[in-house]
Amino acid sequence: MLKSKTFVKKTRAGGVMKIVREHYLRDDIWCGSEACRECKQESTVLQAEACIESNLCPYPHYVVPDTNVVLHQIDVLEDPVIRNVIILQTVLQEVRHRSAPVYKRLKDMIQAKEKLVYTFTNEHHRYKDINWETYIEREQGESANDRNDRAIRVAVKWYSQHLKADGLKVVLLTDDQGNKEKAEESSLVVYKFDEYVKNLTANPELVDRLALSKDDKAEIISSKVLFPEHLPLSKIQSGIKSGTFLQGTFKASRDNYLEATVFVQGEGEESTEVLIQGLQNLNRAVHQDVVAVQLLPRNQWVLPSSVVLQDDGAAKDDDVDGDEEEKALRISAAEAAGKPTGKIVGIIKRNWRPFCGMLNVSQIKESTRHLFTPADRRIPRIRIETRQASTLVGQRIMVAIDGWPKNSRYPNGHFVRSLGSAGEKGTEEAVLLLEHDVPHQAFSQNVLSFLPKMPWGITPEDMIKRQDLRHLTVCSVDPPGCTDIDDALHCRELENGNLEVGVHIADVSHFIRPGNALDKEAANRGTTVYLCGKRIDMVPELLSSNLCSLRSNVESVIGLKASLTYAEAQMRIDDTNKKDDITESLRGLNKLAKILKRKRIENGALTLSSLEVRFHIDSETHDPIDLQTKELMETNSMVEEFMLLANISVAQKIYDEFPDCALLRKHPAPPPSNYDILLKAAKSKNVEIHTDSAKALADSLDVAKVDGFSYFNTLLRILATRCMMQAVYFCSGMDSDFHHYGLASPIYTHFTSPIRRYADIIVHRLLAVAIGADITYPDLMDKHKQSALCNNLNYRHKMSQYAQRASVAFHTQLFFKSRGILNEEGFVLFVRKNAIIVLIPKFGLEGTVFFDSKDKAGPSLVFDEEGPTLKVEQTTFHIFDKVKVTISLDDSNIQHQKIRMALTEPVIPGVSVAAPDVEPQAKKPKVDR
Amino acid sequence: MATVKVSEAEKVYILHGIRDDLRVDGRSCEDYRHMEVETDVVSNTDGSARVSLGHTAVLVGVKAEIGKPRPLVPDEGYLEFFVDCSANATPEFEGRGGEELGIELSNTLYRVFNNKNSVDLKGLCISAGEHCWVLYVDVLLLQCDGNLYDAISVAIKAALFNTKIPRVHMSSDDEGGKEVELSDDPFDCVRLSVENVPCIVTLCKVGHRHVVDATLQEKACSVASLIIAVTHRGTVTCVKKVGGGSLDPESIFEMTEAGKRVGKALHAPLMKLLQQEESLGKKREKVGFLG
Repeated sequence: MLKSKTFVKKTRAGGVMKIVREHYLRDDIWCGSEACRECKQESTVLQAEACIESNLCPYPHYVVPDTNVVLHQIDVLEDPVIRNVIILQTVLQEVRHRSAPVYKRLKDMIQAKEKLVYTFTNEHHRYKDINWETYIEREQGESANDRNDRAIRVAVKWYSQHLKADGLKVVLLTDDQGNKEKAEESSLVVYKFDEYVKNLTANPELVDRLALSKDDKAEIISSKVLFPEHLPLSKIQSGIKSGTFLQGTFKASRDNYLEATVFVQGEGEESTEVLIQGLQNLNRAVHQDVVAVQLLPRNQWVLPSSVVLQDDGAAKDDDVDGDEEEKALRISAAEAAGKPTGKIVGIIKRNWRPFCGMLNVSQIKESTRHLFTPADRRIPRIRIETRQASTLVGQRIMVAIDGWPKNSRYPNGHFVRSLGSAGEKGTEEAVLLLEHDVPHQAFSQNVLSFLPKMPWGITPEDMIKRQDLRHLTVCSVDPPGCTDIDDALHCRELENGNLEVGVHIADVSHFIRPGNALDKEAANRGTTVYLCGKRIDMVPELLSSNLCSLRSNVESVIGLKASLTYAEAQMRIDDTNKKDDITESLRGLNKLAKILKRKRIENGALTLSSLEVRFHIDSETHDPIDLQTKELMETNSMVEEFMLLANISVAQKIYDEFPDCALLRKHPAPPPSNYDILLKAAKSKNVEIHTDSAKALADSLDVAKVDGFSYFNTLLRILATRCMMQAVYFCSGMDSDFHHYGLASPIYTHFTSPIRRYADIIVHRLLAVAIGADITYPDLMDKHKQSALCNNLNYRHKMSQYAQRASVAFHTQLFFKSRGILNEEGFVLFVRKNAIIVLIPKFGLEGTVFFDSKDKAGPSLVFDEEGPTLKVEQTTFHIFDKVKVTISLDDSNIQHQKIRMALTEPVIPGVSVAAPDVEPQAKKPKVDR
Repeated sequence: MATVKVSEAEKVYILHGIRDDLRVDGRSCEDYRHMEVETDVVSNTDGSARVSLGHTAVLVGVKAEIGKPRPLVPDEGYLEFFVDCSANATPEFEGRGGEELGIELSNTLYRVFNNKNSVDLKGLCISAGEHCWVLYVDVLLLQCDGNLYDAISVAIKAALFNTKIPRVHMSSDDEGGKEVELSDDPFDCVRLSVENVPCIVTLCKVGHRHVVDATLQEKACSVASLIIAVTHRGTVTCVKKVGGGSLDPESIFEMTEAGKRVGKALHAPLMKLLQQEESLGKKREKVGFLG
């Protein structure tokens, strides 16, 4: 049956348009209940025995949440305890309209089979009795919200009636008083959400996850107004238009909770930073929010203070709002007028996410309100309400912000879930993934549905389109334990004596088709993240370790003859007795790779250095038992050379074919000032480094040697690495500088690892189009879309690197926790005003040795910026000085555990500590490389 | 215009019948054929009506859009007319065959309806000199069986009666820029007053007498006709002579008097009908074109 929905809309040109949508009702929409005998449904979602232990509803029942309950209480709804839920289409549509993240979570919840969530398309449901139809039209004088509320009530009424005979009740959950009253009038079973949840006997801690509803909030806060009112969005917009306000992203300071900067993106490339100081001016903005700022008059401009302020008043109340601290801040800042300073007048977009952190238990016993300290120092502390504080102490928990009223010192939030005890491996891994925004949930059903059906085999059509290379001796060389092998090589001698080399890359783009859920998920994840002992895949495991991975003895168009590790390959090359095909092929490759490398280095490619460590993980406990810096073999460099060659050739090909939309990778040359520290450091050892070009730098690094100090060159290369810029993906149509500084290549891209990098998939698709093997699609040729994709990929790459580093740091801490205090030799890498940074080559570990301390008077420190040198009492430290330090784990702050280093040699009275008695079991650090 | 061929003998028969006030289909000279009116037939217009008169069928839709007032009358909105002679109505309209008739009809309709005495044009103004409502009145001829003007005018009056214009108000921001703001409630509409909207009565001079609502055969016997727009009070707002022949002043006077009489009698039942239909609201069962 046809109905029509009519509404009036304002057009962009300022006109008014009447829009009519056809709306069809159908009689084949079933109720989804197992108990129902009336509906002719094939499969059901909702159980007949829908029991949940509850004091309020001891009878079997289904729950129907209304829109606001879903929007605000999704954290509770997601709990496995709550099952047999009916989500009405009205609710689903409203949620979709109001909040995309909640909508996605709701969809995921609906898809999870064990949650037993049924979506009832009440808006299209036609019932044999016209009086029981669940589609209703908006009535005169009724607002859109009222109409939706009524639609929900009508649907619940229908359900109650429909399932009455089957002994099931339907419970409407709403927090809206008016809605509740109306529902009671039409004799529906209706409860407030908190009322319902509080009476669930099975899972009492769910109560803590309840978001605060409005009247609860009013109760918490005192009447004192602490913050200025935020301006409404319309005023902000006109203000931005007229230039009185600026729009930007709020970045809180890591060291000072009363200070922040707002990055304002100006016209073109120009962007300015506006400094914000003081609680009032910060006005409830949270890190990463998009805000509107008003500049203060020039005479109130200040400089960023160098004071480190941490908001650590144990339970500072609203009336003691750090006035003194603010004063201290002002005095230090008022000395010189400086940077543009402003105040936040409004929030354009909140960027709140659930935050990881730990609970500070309130000192008042029996109190249910506690402060939560996020792991990220840039996030303010959050006040939450919980009855299980004693269990949550010492655990890493997640908390979401619900709101920040203007008369509350801290934002109000609610407990989301616990990640586990702090300091435990699993917990800390989860924390670092969450804090680095690494998507690590299991792949959703929707994504998995796009995987090829197993068992998968090569079809005859595939064989026609592809070339059969199974007769070649192809082998892969990878690190040990690698299961996602995406590249392989072969080499054979041709009749004319030339060598033919093949670089074989898994064709992941064959399985991941553009635009489907799998593709979108991979594009979002951007990269596979490798943590110590754990891998967060970009694509589901079936693809990464099975189908796309080039494993030996698996059917594909290339027959892999062997999967080797670097060490195995090296051994084969070195073992002169071996004469088989694979070994010969490896020798050919190795020979060519050396030529390629020499050529590259002649062109000015840089060989830089950074220490990478490898943990020996105990197979039982998964704790690190040993730590060793990664060793590089010839074969590493052999594989690398051919991958570089493949990447460069593909980059050139796709750029020739698509000058506007090729996805490339560039590495900008660093500005000369970046090299200052390197030059100074080298000069202190009377070595000269030229930084005019990559070639000059590479050459001068090669000759830089100091007698009797064999590690000097490596240290210098480590320093040089720190001077470099970040390499980034970009779209060729949006940029003109393509140069890759580090590789000294005019053009470069990523092509050889499509299993673990999304950029490679795009490059594969471009190449496939270029050689006519696949068809194109609009987004591939849209340079703006591609540019946006590049931004995401760059962000994900950066975050994955940070996560990787954090994971290494955490494992290092675990390692030192089990070792106690160690005494090691190291080198001074940097000299700071009050500390030296020491590198321990054996562990690839860097640590800071502080010379001043908070509680007692420190030694006399003289810092010379020119050196740079630091004179502590009578001893002067230079860069590259050899020192001895003790290493121990400082776990006084469980949230931020760190490695503490203390000086043992040279001995400075009152500063250095005595070497521990236990002689460490360490061998001599292996330094020559 | 659709025409039929009529033989001499038929003509004489028709003429004699009219002389005796008894027309071929049994009507007297001032009688209309069976007329059907239904409003709100096209959902994506702001107002619509369907009228059938004998076998003549027309559909009128009114779309309200925001436009700029005419410079000479900055405080008034206006109406625009377009008549589409569909080839469904008669094969003669195929291709551009109906264009000339369409233009003639729309020009006449414009003259009859677009003035402030017929429609409250001032009420269509949103902000003087800047925004006003423009009512696009689209007429679709579905079948031609004579007397198009009368059928169209009745349909327009019914469609205007049915028209619901969304209520808007002007909001001004800080810099003096004005913007149209729309009410959130789709039921929040403005209705037009159609009290003074005239109906057209076409009188055909056949022999020495004149008839209203002439069929195509009667039209073929007529030399000239007079189009008279009459309000519910009997006021004549517009008179136009069409057709090749001439009319003497005396018969023009007679025809005008008859037009006033017939027009007044037409308005009363029409308004009653429209109001009755309106009161049924959404419960009314729609008939449409197939009913």
